[in-house]
Amino acid sequence: MDVLLNLGHGLLQVLEPANLLVLFIGLVLGMLVAVLPGLTLVMGVVLALPFTYSMGLLPAIILLTAMYVSGTYGGAFTAILFRIPGEPIDVPLLWDGYAMARQGMPAKALGWTLFAALGGGLIAATVMVLLSGPVAKFALSFSSPEYFAIIVFGLTSVVSLGGGSISNAFISLLLGLLIATVGVDSIYGAERFAFGLPFLQDGIEYLLVMVGAYGLGEVFTRLEKGFASQGPAADTDGKIRTELPSLAEIGKVKTTFLRSSLIGIVVGIVPGAGATVASFVAYGAEGQYGKRRAELGSGIAEGIVAPQTAATSSVGGALIPLLTMGIPGSGATAIILGAFLLHGVQPGPQVFATSGPLVYAIFASLFVSIIGMCIMGYFAIKLLVKVLDLPEAVVSAFVVLFCFIGAFAARNNLSDLYVITAFGILGYLFEKFRFPIAPMVLGTILGPLAESSFMTMMVSYSNDWTVLIGRPVSAVIMVLAVVALVYPIQRQLRERMAQRKA
Amino acid sequence: MLNRLWRAAPYIVLQLAAMYFYQLAGSIDYPATPGRIGPDFWPKAILVLLGLVCVYEIIKNVLVGESFTAAGLLEKLMKESAAGQGEEKLPAYPLRLAGGIGLTILYVATIDKIGFFLATSAYLALFMVIGRYRQWGVIAAASLLGSLLLMFIFMKLVYVSLPLGVEPFSAVSVGLLSIMGVR
Repeated sequence: MDVLLNLGHGLLQVLEPANLLVLFIGLVLGMLVAVLPGLTLVMGVVLALPFTYSMGLLPAIILLTAMYVSGTYGGAFTAILFRIPGEPIDVPLLWDGYAMARQGMPAKALGWTLFAALGGGLIAATVMVLLSGPVAKFALSFSSPEYFAIIVFGLTSVVSLGGGSISNAFISLLLGLLIATVGVDSIYGAERFAFGLPFLQDGIEYLLVMVGAYGLGEVFTRLEKGFASQGPAADTDGKIRTELPSLAEIGKVKTTFLRSSLIGIVVGIVPGAGATVASFVAYGAEGQYGKRRAELGSGIAEGIVAPQTAATSSVGGALIPLLTMGIPGSGATAIILGAFLLHGVQPGPQVFATSGPLVYAIFASLFVSIIGMCIMGYFAIKLLVKVLDLPEAVVSAFVVLFCFIGAFAARNNLSDLYVITAFGILGYLFEKFRFPIAPMVLGTILGPLAESSFMTMMVSYSNDWTVLIGRPVSAVIMVLAVVALVYPIQRQLRERMAQRKA
Repeated sequence: MLNRLWRAAPYIVLQLAAMYFYQLAGSIDYPATPGRIGPDFWPKAILVLLGLVCVYEIIKNVLVGESFTAAGLLEKLMKESAAGQGEEKLPAYPLRLAGGIGLTILYVATIDKIGFFLATSAYLALFMVIGRYRQWGVIAAASLLGSLLLMFIFMKLVYVSLPLGVEPFSAVSVGLLSIMGVR
């Protein structure tokens, strides 16, 4: 009952005109970012961050959260209608969504995505509200070994869940952790890898790594390809509308819907795994356990509902570790964490006691955002896909500028522009040599937290690292971390041996 | 053999960097406390792990010539997606890339001297040209109006103090700011 009351108070705050306006802007921006192939959801949220510097904390978080949630939905339009996935999240929608559109049912395919985003998003938001309080209470009992174990689990899961080489992902992660050590360390005050340069003595902000590697790196990669993305075919323009599925049709996909919602929430909670992972895992689960798995890829509703439900429900999941433990569950929540810190608030178990109304207002904003984005998607779809007509070279030039202004505005330091340019080049090289960027970024974000909890643990337990496996909670999480890392390697070795035998 | 060396090249570079930084970590200056690990422990542990992974990859690629790569759990699905989309190989424009990177570095190096507005207008226009865009009217309008709009948003609304440049360029920035009503 208390939860409902608090949520009601939160809703009243969100419905204040200024907050509602910010939420609306966030939804529009999130959708635009998701529709444009050159801009990713995380990049979009990064670029919006500098605009929040002069806002209060609540509108800032509302703006970024609204962008985050609508970004998981907007890309579905172009994936289904034009076979252009605006985001990696939307790639699984190409298989069944685009196939359904090709069979003459684009409106139906769009209707299924709307249902999936709305249903999955609302279920996850409800779970988030119900779970956050108890998780925060539980997290209050955590000590440094538990925190360190959770971070290790998050870092290993980002390595094992991605596509591409695990070695490269591991190297990327280690580079991120190393970048986080640059500057004056917080315990001894010793200077590490700063080479006497003042701007390095302050450390390398993870924001610079993110903006550089994700934003500039992506622009450089696309520039090398001559900004060759294609706009939509003109003849589809007049046919764009959404046809919602009937209750009977929804009843037929309820298992897929519930399974994908659960997958989205769980993947969202795992630190480091975001909407893209959720979308792929849900589609994969459908291929393995779905009733119509044999027809998957031929344009069936289950193939649309599974990835879209999981992608949107991962948002609610990802906000749980952020708000209850201060650990971001995805790239976008890492930036939201940055917005909290810029406003002098450290999310974590204490925030429920000290800033309860703020937390519930954030919860309420997620509900409003999900409903708002679906209404917007239903009515404004024709207008949204028009942004595909914008020339990529023009959009990219402005993306670079936003990257620079965002980086500069954080500390008013021109040296930071050199840092993000360097990370932009590094991001391009990562892409070129197939090193994933996400582990490096997550390593940079969680590195200081990992080191401080490790050092505190070593001091508190007389340099006895076995405490990690001596305490039940940390032991279970460490086992999960090892399994997360070893399982994909072991599975592929087994498949390879089976192939050799055959 | 050349092919194997090319595959191992990033790992060789990273291995050398790891060794260099390990040496640097050994010379971190701090007041040591008996029985406590110092600020060099954490970076050294990271560098040892980095070195081990690189050595594994170098041996695998150069000496064994092994093509097996343990991949993340999404690899199979992503490969299917690439196959499903029938991804075409796009032509590469390395000179455009080099030009774009060079222009970006030049922008960073000169923004302090010539000010945000002039540097940004020039950067936007040239970047669009390097990016193979040739609608000159759009380029001129987007770069000039875009720079003005960004200047207005950040200096008037978000209160970010963007560089004004030095004389004589600062006169342009100051003039525009006074028109916008920014003091």
